[in-house]
Amino acid sequence: MKETVLLTKRMRDFPSDSHLIDIYEKSNGYKVAKKTLSKSSPEEVLKEIQDSNIKGRGGAGFPTGTKWGMLVEDKEKYLVINADESEPGTFKDRILLERDPHQLIEGMIITCFAANIDKAFIYIRGEYAKPARRVQNAVEQAYSKGYLGKKIFGTNMNLDIVVHLGAGAYICGEETALLNSLEGRRGEPRLKPPFYPAVKGLYMKPTLVNNVETISSVPWIVENTGAEYNKLGVEGSTGTRIFSLSGHINKPGNYEIEMGSSFGEFVETLGEGVRNNKKIKAFIPGGASAPWLTGEQLEIKMTIDDVAKNNSMLGSGAVVMMDEDTNLVNAAKSIVSFFAHESCGQCTPCREGTTWLEMILDRVASGRGRSSDLELLLDVCDNISPGLSWPPKMTTICPLGPSAVSPITSLMKNFREEVENMIPTKVLL
Amino acid sequence: MNEMVKINVNGIEIQADNNKLLIEACEDSGIHIPRFCWHKRLDPVGMCRMCLVEVDTPRGKALVPSCTTKVTPNLVVDTESEVVKKAQEGVLEFLLINHPLDCPICDKAGECPLQDQTVSYGPGESRFVEEKRHFEKPISISEIILLDRERCILCARCTRFSDEISGDPLIEFVQRGNKTEVNTFPNEPFRSYFSGNTVQICPVGALTSTSYRFKARPWDLKATTSTCNGCTVGCTVELNASQNKMLRILGVDNDSVNQGWLCDKGRYNFEFLNNQSRLKESLEKVNEKFEIISNKDLINKLKNKILNNENKVKFLLGTNLTNEEYAAFNEFSALISKSKSDFYLSDDYLFNGYFEKNISLATFNNLDTADTIVIWSEDIKENLPILYLRVRQAVKNGTKLIILGHNNSTLKDIASDFYSSDIIDENFELKVQPENLKNLKDAVIGKNVTAIIGKSSPYQNKKSLDLLVSFLNENSNLSLLNSFSKGNSFGAFQNLDSVKGLPDLCKDFEEDLPEVLFIVGADPIGSSVLTNKITSILEKINCIVSLDLFIHQTNELANYVVPMNSTVSEKEGTFTNIEFRSSKINKITPSPGKALSENEFLSNLLSSLGKSTDFLSVHELNTKVAENNFNQVNKITFDELDKPSNFDGIISGKEVNINCTFFIEDKSLYYVGRKLYGDSVTQRNSQSISILGSKKYIQANLSTIKTLDLEAGKCYIEQNGLKLSSELIINENIPDGLIYFPINRRNFVKYNFAEKINISNISNEDILSVQ
Amino acid sequence: MSWDKKLINQANKIIKQYPQKRSALGPLLHLAQSKDGYISDDSIEVISELIGITEVQVKSVSTFYSMYKQEPTGKYLISVCKSISCEISNSSDVIKKVQEITGLNNNETDEEGIFTFEKVECIGACGGAPAIQINYETVEGMTPESTESLFNWLKENQPKVIVADILQEKFGGTRSFEWGIKDNSGTIASVPGFQNFNTVGESK
Ligand SMILES: Cc1cc2nc3c(=O)[nH]c(=O)nc-3n(C[C@H](O)[C@H](O)[C@H](O)COP(=O)(O)O)c2cc1C
Ligand code: SF4
Ligand code: FES
Repeated sequence: MKETVLLTKRMRDFPSDSHLIDIYEKSNGYKVAKKTLSKSSPEEVLKEIQDSNIKGRGGAGFPTGTKWGMLVEDKEKYLVINADESEPGTFKDRILLERDPHQLIEGMIITCFAANIDKAFIYIRGEYAKPARRVQNAVEQAYSKGYLGKKIFGTNMNLDIVVHLGAGAYICGEETALLNSLEGRRGEPRLKPPFYPAVKGLYMKPTLVNNVETISSVPWIVENTGAEYNKLGVEGSTGTRIFSLSGHINKPGNYEIEMGSSFGEFVETLGEGVRNNKKIKAFIPGGASAPWLTGEQLEIKMTIDDVAKNNSMLGSGAVVMMDEDTNLVNAAKSIVSFFAHESCGQCTPCREGTTWLEMILDRVASGRGRSSDLELLLDVCDNISPGLSWPPKMTTICPLGPSAVSPITSLMKNFREEVENMIPTKVLL
Repeated sequence: MNEMVKINVNGIEIQADNNKLLIEACEDSGIHIPRFCWHKRLDPVGMCRMCLVEVDTPRGKALVPSCTTKVTPNLVVDTESEVVKKAQEGVLEFLLINHPLDCPICDKAGECPLQDQTVSYGPGESRFVEEKRHFEKPISISEIILLDRERCILCARCTRFSDEISGDPLIEFVQRGNKTEVNTFPNEPFRSYFSGNTVQICPVGALTSTSYRFKARPWDLKATTSTCNGCTVGCTVELNASQNKMLRILGVDNDSVNQGWLCDKGRYNFEFLNNQSRLKESLEKVNEKFEIISNKDLINKLKNKILNNENKVKFLLGTNLTNEEYAAFNEFSALISKSKSDFYLSDDYLFNGYFEKNISLATFNNLDTADTIVIWSEDIKENLPILYLRVRQAVKNGTKLIILGHNNSTLKDIASDFYSSDIIDENFELKVQPENLKNLKDAVIGKNVTAIIGKSSPYQNKKSLDLLVSFLNENSNLSLLNSFSKGNSFGAFQNLDSVKGLPDLCKDFEEDLPEVLFIVGADPIGSSVLTNKITSILEKINCIVSLDLFIHQTNELANYVVPMNSTVSEKEGTFTNIEFRSSKINKITPSPGKALSENEFLSNLLSSLGKSTDFLSVHELNTKVAENNFNQVNKITFDELDKPSNFDGIISGKEVNINCTFFIEDKSLYYVGRKLYGDSVTQRNSQSISILGSKKYIQANLSTIKTLDLEAGKCYIEQNGLKLSSELIINENIPDGLIYFPINRRNFVKYNFAEKINISNISNEDILSVQ
Repeated sequence: MSWDKKLINQANKIIKQYPQKRSALGPLLHLAQSKDGYISDDSIEVISELIGITEVQVKSVSTFYSMYKQEPTGKYLISVCKSISCEISNSSDVIKKVQEITGLNNNETDEEGIFTFEKVECIGACGGAPAIQINYETVEGMTPESTESLFNWLKENQPKVIVADILQEKFGGTRSFEWGIKDNSGTIASVPGFQNFNTVGESK
C-alpha cells in the first residue's frame, strides 16, 4: 500500500519551507487560481467539483458539489473554512494549515470565485497557535502580492480573508455552532431547520462552510479536472484522504491515501505494524464519535460505505488503534469524559447524560462499580440515543450527545466481560 | 399563508394551523405535550427535549421536538408511543439529577411544572447516587428578584425573555455544559422594568420575587381575572389572594393586549393594600389636626355644605376610578348642581388629543400590521411599558420605527430614525416641516402607519404635533393611538360630561373659587409641575373633601378625608384602555376598616340630600356606562364582558369630552419626564418596590455636564430656597444642553422649570454631612 | 475605561475586520487576556462598551470557552492532553509527573505565578501522543522523564518567548508528522501567539 500525494506533495518536496509564498509559487502555486479567474466561469468550476464527487472531509461526508449548488443567491454571502479540528484522534488539518497554507488560500479564492463570494473566514481552533500564525502570515503575503483584496490578479474579483481564532470548544466544529461563535456568541449549535448554512448561515446569510482538507483539494481538482479526481479511490469515496493514524502503532502519523484498502493493510504497511508486536483489540475508524470496531474487523475496507455497513463511520479520518493490553473501560471513560466536557449544555440528555455516564464509568474504572451499573450505563445511553442503533437516533439538537454513546455501546457489545470483571464481586453474607 | 391542514396525531385526524408549531397545534386540539423550555411568546430553543414526539419520515419514525417542528400537511405524529414515553422519562430523570428536593420550602411547589410532570411522566426512584451540583442558596439579583441556581433547569426562558422581549439582557447563561448556570454580571443587577415576568414563566422555583416569597401555598390561593389600572394599556391580570389579603398579581395572556406580560410596577404595586397606614376611618380636620369622625356625622356635615353652595361644588378626580365611578360622579354632579359641572383630571400631560372623525384610532394589533410606527409622545417605556413591548415586538417582526422628540431613547437602537435635537428644539417644537424629513417621508407616504402621539412634556405646545399628525393623516393610511398614559383616563373622557386639566383648574379657580372641592384619588401637589399654584389655591378653599387610600401631600390640606376602596382588587367595575377597549375590574379582597366605594359614599350623601339613589348600584351604573357606548351590539355590560368570547375585551368608544383650553404656557428651561417608578403614594407604601422610585437624580450628557462646569456625582439642586441633594448622572441619550429631571421624585415638582435652577457639586466634606 | 489608547486602537482594528461588531468579541477576549492573563471584570466592561452588548452577555460568551481564563494564569500555562490517543499512550503518567513537580491540581496556579496546570482535551497531536502545550506551543512524545527536564529548564531559564520547535528538539519525542520546517516564532503569554493579540514573540 502506497500513498497518493495530491495535497501533501509540496510539503514533501520542500520539507523546510513549503509554507512560504515563494516556494508555493515556484511549485505551480496560484497558477490555477489565476487561470480560473481569467479564463473560466463560475459554472465551469462548480461542474468540476461536482464531477469529482468529493465528499466533505470534516466528518459528515456531505457531497461538496451538492453543497455549493445549494448556495442561495444574495448580495451578502460568506465562505467559512472549518479549521476547528478537535475530534480526538484527528490532526490532519493541522499539517495543511501549518505546512501548506497557500494551498488552502488558493482553494478559497477559487471557491469564492465559483460562488461569487467576497468575504471569507478561516476559523482556527485557538489551541492551534502555530498553524494559525502560519496561516495569518500566508494571508498577509497573499495580500501583499495582490492575490487577496481588491481586483485580485487584476480581475474584477475582490476577496477578503479574516483569520479568526477560536478559544477552546470542540462543539464549535459543528458548523452552526461555529457560525454562532464567529458571530461572537456562545458556540451552541443552532436548531434545524434551517438545515443548511448555504441557505441561512453567518448573520443568517447564505454561507459555505467547508473543511480545510476539502477546500485544499480544490486547486488540484480544478487543475486536473473533476473526472481525474473521480478516478482515484472507489465509488462513493473518491479522491485521496489524509488519515490520521495514532495509538499503539509503530509509525503513527498522517497518510494521504486513496480510499479502498483495508484498515489492516494500512496498519501493517504505512503504520509499520502494531507496537511491540501486540494484537489489536479494538480500533476507532473515524474519530472519537465513531463506534469502535474490533481487532477481528481489521479487514474492513476504508471507504465511507464499507465502514457504514459495519455500523460505524469514517468520520474525520482519525484511526486510533488500541492493542490487547489496553484498558478499554479507561479508554471509553476518556472519550465519554471528552464529550461531557465539550457538551454545550443546551440539551438536557447531553448535558446531564454525558456527565452521568462519566460518573458511572469513573466508578466502574476505580473498582467501585455495582452490578446494576452495566444496565444503567446502557439505559442512560438509550435515553440519549433511543434504540442504540447506528446511525444514532437522537434526543438532542446535534450529534455530540449521541456520540458519547458510541464507546459505551461498543464496549458493552464486544467487551462486556471486561467491564463485568471490573465490578467487585458481591460478598454474600 | 395561514391555512388549516390535516395532520394525524395518535391515530386521530386533526385540523392544524400550518403556521404553528406542532406543540401548539396539538394543544389547540386538546392534546397536551409536556414541555419546559417552550413558551408560546418566546422563540423556541428546543433545549429541554421534554416535548419529543415521534413523527413518520421517509426514513422511518424519528424523534423530534414538537416545539421546533412546524405543522406540515399529512404529518403523522405519535405523542404517546413507548419510545416517546421512555425519552420523556429519561429527560425528567436527567433534570432531577441536579434538582434539589426542597419542594416543602419552595414557592413554586403546587404550581410547579417540574413537580407536576414528575408525577405524570417521571421515573420512580432516582438511580443517581452521586452528589448533586451545589450553588450558594438564593442570591439576590436585583432589589426584587432572587435566584436559586440549584433549582434552575436551564430552560432559557428568563434569558430569552429579557433578551428577545424586554430588550435588556442582564441575565444570561454563564459557563457551559454541565456547569452552565444562569446569572447576572457582578456590578450589573437584573434591573429590568419587566423582571417579574421571568419569575412568572420560570418553570421551577429558581426565580422568585421578594414580594411573594414564602407568603402562601398555591392551593390556599383564591384567584380572579381583572384589569390592571396602572396605566392606559389595561393589561389582563390574575389577582391572587389568601385569607382576604392580596398576595400576588400574574399576567394573563390576552392576545390583543399584554400577551401574558406585565411591567413590574403593575405586578408589584399592590402591596400598599395591606399597608398599616391605609385610611380606615373618616377624618375631620379640627385645629389643624385630623380626628376620627363617623361616616354618619360626616355625611351630615357635608350635606349642609352642599345645600348651601349648590353651584360652587367642584371635582378634581384622579385617573384610577372605574367607568362606573366616573359615571356616578357625573350623575351626582348633575343632581346637586343646577349648572353643568366641569371635572378636572389630575394629569399634567392632558391635552385634547386627536379624536376627530377623519382620524382613525388604532389598536395595539395595528402595530403588527403597520409598515411604519411613528412615535412622538411621552416616554412609552416609562409610562406605557407594555405598549413599549408591543412596539419592540412589531419592529422585531419587520415594522419600521420612527421616533421624534427627545423621549423614547430606549427604542433608539431598533428605530430606523430618531429625530431629536437636530430638528426639535428644547420645547419640543419642530424646526423643520415634516415633509422635509426625507426618511420620514419615505417611510410614511402611501404606507400603513400607526402613530403614538401625545404630549412629550407638560410644557409642550400642540402646534408641532398638529403638523405631524396632519402630515401623516394626509399622506398615509394612518391609525393613531392618543398617548394619555394614566390609569382609566379614557374611561373618564367618556363618562364625564366635560374634562379639563390642571392648568384650567388654576385659571378657573383663580377667577371663581369653589366652596366645596371633592378631590378623589388625586395628589396633584405631589405630582404636578403646577404644584405651587395649586397649593396656594387649595389653601383658599373652605371645604375640601378628599376620598383616598392614604394621607398624602394634597389631602393634608383637606377638611375631610374619607377612606376608599382600592380599584385594585377591592371593587367591581369596568376599565377602558387607550384603544377604547373595555374590560372588567374585579374584586377579590374586602377593603379595610370603614372604607367605602365611591358609589356607596355618593349614594349616602345623595339620600341625605333627599335625592334618588336608584342608579347608584354598580350594576345600574354599569348599564348606564354601557348605554353610553357606540357599540350597542356588544355593550360593555358585566355580562357581555364576562363571556369567554369577549376575553380580549370589547372595543367601543364614544366621543370624548376633553376641553383643555390651554397648555402650560411657560417655556421650560429643562427637560422633564415621568419615570415608571416614582414617588406616588401607593408606591411609597408598597414595600418591595418603594425604594425603586425614591432615589433622586438628574441626568445630562457628558458634554453638557462639562459645559456647566459640573461633574457627575452628588450635587445640590437649589431654587427659591428649596435645596435638595441629588445625583447627577451621565446619560448620553439626553440631547446637548438639556438637563433631565424625572418629575416624579419627591419634591422635584416644586421647582419652577421655567426659571433657572442652580446645580452645584457637593464637596467631599459635604457628602459626609449629607449622609 | 481601563484600556490604554494603544489597546483600544488595536481593538478597533480588530472590530473593523468584521461585518458585524459582535463578531470581534472572541478576538477581543484574547486581547483582554493578553493584557491581564485572564478575563477581568474590567475588561468585560470595556469590551461590552466597545461592541455594544451588556456585560453579562460578554461574560456569558467568555465563560463558554475554556481558553478564556476566569482567574489569572501563571507565566506559563501547562496544558496536558488527556484525550483518547494520549490516554492510551500513558498521558496519565505525564500528568502525575507535572502534579508532582508543581504540586498543582487541575486549573491551579502556583503562588509565584509561574505555572498554571490544566488537563485538556485533544490538542491535535495524537500521532505524537502523549502531548503537552506550554502557552499553546505544542511538544509531542513526552515521557515523565522529559517532562521533568522540561520543567527544570523552564524554571531555570524562564524564557520570555516559548518556541515549540526549540522545546520539541530539547524535550520532545515522537512527532505527529515530520516537521522539516524550523520556525523560531513563539508566544510571549499564556494566550495563543497571534499578531492581533500582541502575543507573538520575536524570532529567537
Ligand atoms: C460535534 C461536531 C463536531 C465537528 N467538528 C468538526 C471539525 O472540527 N472540523 C470540521 O471540519 N468539521 C467538523 N464537523 C462537521 C461540520 O459540522 C461540517 O459538516 C463540516 O465543517 C462541513 O465541511 P465539509 O463538507 O467540507 O466536510 C463537526 C460536526 C459535529 C456534529
Ligand atoms: S447534543 Fe450536546 S452539544 Fe449538541 S446541542 Fe445538544 S447539548 Fe449541545
Ligand atoms: S488525543 Fe491527545 S493529542 Fe490527540
